[in-house]
Amino acid sequence: MSVLIDIQGLGKTFSDPSLRLGPRRPPVRAVDQVSFQILRGEALAIVGESGCGKSTLGRLLLQLIEPSEGKVIFEGKDLNKTTKAEMRQLRRKMQMVFQDPFGSLSPRRKVVDIIAEPMDSFGMTKSRKERREKVAELLTLVGLPSSYMDRKPRQFSGGQRQRIGIARAISVDPMFIVADEPVSALDVSIQAQIINLMQDLQEKKGFSFLFIAHDLAVVRHIADRVAVMYLGRIVEMGTKEQIYAAPHHPYTEALLSAAPQPDPTATRDRIILKGDVPSPSNVPSGCAFRTRCPLAADICRDERPSLREIEPHRTVACHFAAPRPISHRRAMA
Amino acid sequence: MSEALLDIKDLTIEFGSGSQPLRVVDNISFAVSLGETVGIVGESGSGKSMTALSVLRLVPEAARVSGQIIFEGRDLLKLPKREMPAIRGKEIGMIFQEPMSSLNPLMTIGDQIDEAIRLHEDIPAPERRKRVLALLRLVGMPDPENRLSAYPDQFSGGMRQRVMAAIAMACNPKLLIADEPTTALDVTIQAQVLAMMLDIRARFNSSILLITHDLGVVAEICERVVVMYAGRILEDADARSLFSNARHPYTQGLLRSVPTLNDTRKRLYQIPGSVPPAGTIKAGCPFRPRCSVRMERCAVEMPPLRTYDPGHRVACWATAEAAA
Amino acid sequence: MTDARLSDFPVDDLISREALADERGLGDVVRQVIFGRISTQVAFFVVVVFIVVAILAPWIAPYDPVRQSILQINKHPSWDHWLGTDQFGRDVLSRMIHGSRNSLIFGLLSPVFAAFFGTILGVSAGYFGGIVDRLISRIVDMLMAFPELLLAILIAAALGGSFWNIVVVLTVAFTPGFARVARASTLAVKQEPYIEAAVAAGVSTPLIIFRHIVPNIAAPIVVLMTLWSASSIRIEATLSFLGIGTQPPNPSWGNIIRDGLSNMFATQWPIVAGGLAITIVVLAISILGDSVRDVLDPETAR
Repeated sequence: MSVLIDIQGLGKTFSDPSLRLGPRRPPVRAVDQVSFQILRGEALAIVGESGCGKSTLGRLLLQLIEPSEGKVIFEGKDLNKTTKAEMRQLRRKMQMVFQDPFGSLSPRRKVVDIIAEPMDSFGMTKSRKERREKVAELLTLVGLPSSYMDRKPRQFSGGQRQRIGIARAISVDPMFIVADEPVSALDVSIQAQIINLMQDLQEKKGFSFLFIAHDLAVVRHIADRVAVMYLGRIVEMGTKEQIYAAPHHPYTEALLSAAPQPDPTATRDRIILKGDVPSPSNVPSGCAFRTRCPLAADICRDERPSLREIEPHRTVACHFAAPRPISHRRAMA
Repeated sequence: MSEALLDIKDLTIEFGSGSQPLRVVDNISFAVSLGETVGIVGESGSGKSMTALSVLRLVPEAARVSGQIIFEGRDLLKLPKREMPAIRGKEIGMIFQEPMSSLNPLMTIGDQIDEAIRLHEDIPAPERRKRVLALLRLVGMPDPENRLSAYPDQFSGGMRQRVMAAIAMACNPKLLIADEPTTALDVTIQAQVLAMMLDIRARFNSSILLITHDLGVVAEICERVVVMYAGRILEDADARSLFSNARHPYTQGLLRSVPTLNDTRKRLYQIPGSVPPAGTIKAGCPFRPRCSVRMERCAVEMPPLRTYDPGHRVACWATAEAAA
Repeated sequence: MTDARLSDFPVDDLISREALADERGLGDVVRQVIFGRISTQVAFFVVVVFIVVAILAPWIAPYDPVRQSILQINKHPSWDHWLGTDQFGRDVLSRMIHGSRNSLIFGLLSPVFAAFFGTILGVSAGYFGGIVDRLISRIVDMLMAFPELLLAILIAAALGGSFWNIVVVLTVAFTPGFARVARASTLAVKQEPYIEAAVAAGVSTPLIIFRHIVPNIAAPIVVLMTLWSASSIRIEATLSFLGIGTQPPNPSWGNIIRDGLSNMFATQWPIVAGGLAITIVVLAISILGDSVRDVLDPETAR
């Protein structure tokens, strides 16, 4: 598979924009020196807790936010160097599915207008009739009756709205879709529907997929590769099999072990991390995870661990990287 | 188990006017025994939060509540309104989903916990301070002496939830109601808060009524589980038998559709359809439109809760037929 | 694939009837405003009657509003003169009917102009931010510092109280209010996820503004428009009362009151008629504005 997007040293710092006198809020380091590649047709999951910069990263890739440093190279083209008009044309190739199924659909517009919006932007709809036919096709594809197209979003449930948002994203046949926590606002019994739908659509259409989530269990089914983020940095990245079988970074291990599993018989040696995630405006020196890490040593304070490739497709940023099989997995096997 | 601490009988909660009331909780009955941890699991519109609020008589004024909520032999619904404050906080503590909006932003956390004690017990200030510190230590607050004078906005979500728990446990209540206590928290912080709740249960021997949408959280700390859907109880069983031998098609579907860390299926099982908005399904079983084993009878008549194994109740015609 | 399984069950079963009843187009909004509450119905009726009267003034007024008659001075109401006559023997009802033209055109014209310009300024400031925002906001602040009545008196005194002068003055005076409301609403709407969704979909900036921002800030603008309409009628009356608005002998409600005041002890009917007309119209427009807001705002919509 060839590379679709090459991300090189990407970073974003948000600073207090106000002009007022007196102390400013310290700048927030949301994304810090992130580099990786997304291959054509692959599903990559970014997993991390709130404030780890995963949503910012997704928006940086789509140039919805301008990076402070680093490059996003999409099909060989550096997105920072595109003009506004060029960028707008490039959006046809990259679309987004949002977390909030209620807020991300304009409440005053009909479903047909919402779904056709990207097509309209790129002049892909010749006539009214053709436009309605295309929308009907898309609605069927995402599992909604096409007769619903003249309704307003408020008449739909959260899961149905998320289907509408997905139909909008795939309407222009993009090569790349960023899905920002697309199921975390949905009811439990609806999440599986949406995950399956996105998986099916990806198989059918072959787009590359960046799936952002706070929960490793959700991405288990959809991702080919998983990247774990902590305080703006990628701490571990590998194929799904590698990550779930034996994480190498103690944070990945803790994330896996902390997720509550619907099985009361599983015996667990839970790793419960102490303390809170530090503020991204005040990231600890050296390894950002060291303040909560059970393995932390002096070197972790003095030296920031770089992402090292420890086996093919597998990188870890930890001075003490080593396989850490998950205990409850053994108990349940 | 021993006798019931909380016994809810035929509880119904309705909104709206005469001819077309919106019934958000429909004739439910269940009990919580002394020292027991019961989870109410449900999706949006299931009526789980309304049920919890009704125990403290905190449902909105517009709601009509009928049935019985018997707590230690007294029907809370029949108590005069002015006696409820003495029960809230003293006999029954509560933890909410959003700890920030439940804490007063202009009061230090020390004062807020102190107030919770002072409202119900007449003890001198130095002893109250000792109790406040003990509570903060109990909920795992690091360095409690220095945190007394801090304000809620100086804490993270997980720490606020600990403060909430300290307030809820201030007078050693017999029942703790926790409404989605971990939903707003990150995974690693959620693990901390769940560990804290287990610790509270071990030390106080309080009963806990946990409201959640997360089957994982239930499996983690509950002994018994009540599954609600669209205002009805569909299944009520002890946790082990629910997770190993769910009998209602909704519970079965839910358990199969939850993504877990260790399953290797290519596709997730999915329950079709949408969750019905509260009170919109008027007749028959509310799960019928999404059910794979539905029968004609389901459209007409709501199946009653029937006991199968001891302590395992299920409301489903198909289950009943299969068992017959 | 998913579609097959989904079509297995009746989806319509699951969409509540309440939600279906919620399907509202623009026509429904108008209908809802009009048939909503009794008070709104009355207000709507009143405004319509006044507008119709203003339009048909030359045909329905029983007398020429400026024709004087020495024989008919200071008459009380009678079958010939329903509201009596003033000190020049002019028919008060006819003057009221003709005066409604000046008063209402005033009341509606400047708020509409001001809403137009104010929305352009406010949306630009709110959407683009940065230097554009700072520039517009400072100008708006400066204009806001002038009380609109004072501004109107100033310009009317300097340039003369011609009709268009006063319209321009009031437009300038009202624009900052609209700009502020439009800016604040734009800032709020800009944060909505559907705006980001539109950007991500590749929608161009002008389309985002016209299709996604403007319709969603319309509610507060419309309400403000009705509020200013009422003020505008009041200000016209005030200016005319002070003698720098509509010039005699042309009638407006303001100068009818003014003429009536100097003649108060002979007949009270001109003051009563002018005062009541202003009160009724201002009240009706305000009630209408409230209802429009209630219906347009999804939060308070019934």
